This record gives sequence, C-alpha cells and structure tokens, in this order.
Amino acid sequence: MLNKYTCLEKLAARRKDEIIITNMGIAKPWENLSDGPFDFASVDSGMGHAADFAHGLAIAQPNRRVITLNGDGSMLMCLGTLVTVAQRPVDNYALVIIENGTYEITGNQFVPGAGKINYETIARGAGIDAVYTVSDDKDFDHKLDILFEGKGPLVFVWKVEKANEPVPNFPILLWERAHRLRKALMESA
Amino acid sequence: MLSAKIIVEELKKQGITHIVGLPDNGSRVLFELLWETAEIEVIQVSREGEAFAIASGIYLGGKNPALLIQNTGFLESGDAFRGTVHNMRIPILLLIGYRGYKTLIPGAPRVDSVATFLEPTLKAWDIPYSILTDDKEAEQISIGVKKAGDTSMPAAVLLAEETT
Repeated sequence: MLNKYTCLEKLAARRKDEIIITNMGIAKPWENLSDGPFDFASVDSGMGHAADFAHGLAIAQPNRRVITLNGDGSMLMCLGTLVTVAQRPVDNYALVIIENGTYEITGNQFVPGAGKINYETIARGAGIDAVYTVSDDKDFDHKLDILFEGKGPLVFVWKVEKANEPVPNFPILLWERAHRLRKALMESA
Repeated sequence: MLSAKIIVEELKKQGITHIVGLPDNGSRVLFELLWETAEIEVIQVSREGEAFAIASGIYLGGKNPALLIQNTGFLESGDAFRGTVHNMRIPILLLIGYRGYKTLIPGAPRVDSVATFLEPTLKAWDIPYSILTDDKEAEQISIGVKKAGDTSMPAAVLLAEETT
C-alpha cells in the first residue's frame, strides 16, 4: 500500500507548472507542499465534481497538464465523468483516484464497494485505455513519468493506507481561488 | 416553437465557444444544429451536474461556455450548481428547457411536477431568469449573457417551446 503523504511529496518534487486539483483529504496535505495560483483546492465546491471540473479546464487549456487528485468517495459520486472524459478525450488530462476505501474527513466510514470495487475496470469499461493501478513505491516511482508526460486521458488508481485528515478549511474563499486560477492562466497565455 | 437557427445565431453573436449539456426532446433540433456549428463545440455530459462543473472549468480556463439542459436535469444538479457556478461566481448563461410549461396553464389536463418546481427553485437559488416563448424575444439570450457578465453570476433563459 502507498502512503499518500509520501506520494504527494514525490509529486510536488516533480511538478513544474501543471494545474493540480485536490479535494477532501488531499487538499490540506497538498497545500502544505504547494499553494500557488495553479494549485486549486476543490473544497466547499460541488461534491464529486473535481474530476469533471478538471476536464473543463483541460479542454480550455490544451497546452497545460491538469492533474486531479480525487478521493475514491468523490469519484464514486460522479462515475459518469469517466464516460464523458472518454468520449471527449484530452491529451493533457490526468486523473488520480486515491483509493483508501473510506470517507476520510468524516471519520473513515466505508465507501460503498470498498474492497470489491475495481476502479481500473470501471475506467477501462468507460472507454479510457491508459489506466494504471499503483500499490507500491517502486511502481509509483516508475509511473511518475507517465503521470506528467503520458498522452491522456490518463487514470491512475493509487491504493493508499487510511489516514485521518479533518475537514479542510481554507481562508481563501472558493470564488477567490477560482478567479486567482483564471487570472494566472490568462496572464501566462 | 422556437427556431434553433435563431438561438444559435444569438449564441454566436455572444461569442459562446462551448455548449455543455445533455439533449432532450425539446432541445433535440437545437443540439443537432449546434453539432454542425463550427464556431461552437458541444460537450455532451453523462448527467447534468457534470455540465456545471465542466463549464466552470472551461470558463476559468479562458473560454466562454453556456449550458443547455432540461429542467429535470437542472433540479438534479443542485449541489453541482451550488458548488461550481454559484460558489465560484461564474458568469454563465444557463439555457434550461421548460418541460411541462404548457401544463401550468389553468385547466390543463395534467400538471408536470418538474414545471411546478422550476421557477420556485430558480428563485430559491437566486438565479435571475427570463422565459423565451417566441422567436421575437430571442434577444433574451443576449440579455441573459449580459446579466451574467454584469453580476459575475449565472443567469438563465428558459426555453418554453420545443426547438425546430
């Protein structure tokens, strides 16, 4: 099993100017590593809608990679997104499903299907070919190049240990974070 | 009936780059015309909540999207609406098909419940709207886009007739 904090540290060390979308139990740990205009915490936003929001960004910004770090509980809320992404593919779209089997920030209740569900099978069944399940550090390191440079749409499933992040709280309001991202993208065009 | 051609012309006039939505009987002809319109890309979603999120991403990425969904899908999308276009303050046009509009006429043989819920829900969610019943009123689309731009919030135009 992977440790999500180690994974995030490796991601942060490798990352340059990609857009990174986070939510729920990933948002604050990622903020501790990186908090610039291209880091977008999808918190106080539509539940389950980080992956499709990222799809829209990737469509509008085809020359910039968009990486979404999506909890498995959030993914389950909007599985149709995988089909929508497959039928309107974008090369720069990378979705990571961080699978710990629980709703971490509400006390680690089990998500439906925990232990049975196979997100790789679901993503492939939705029509996405480049899907990778990663459950150990060696494989994680080996596949990092694909996450940053592979032709999308890409879906990764990280099998991670449970953790205990609280409900994330951000002093910068969602609309401020959103328009900060837009401004940074417009200025870098 | 509403002319799909006139609606598409209004959208083009406003520089809409993407229509994000899901077709229904009322918007079928409009979608068919949009798919043939080079200036506007149609992003078809699996469920209407995605449309709010995708359109938000497209807008923040620098393009000019609008939504095209039916009122049934709009009601389904509550938290998606709240957590994306509303909380992110996205100035976006929502074209919403008004299924059941005619069943609200007094004496109609049956009432479609989605029609009874639509306007109260728009009011509850603070979405300004107008109702498009005739091609002569097509400029409501441009007015809706302007309203959204002026407030940096969503504005809706309800399509009360099938498009032809």
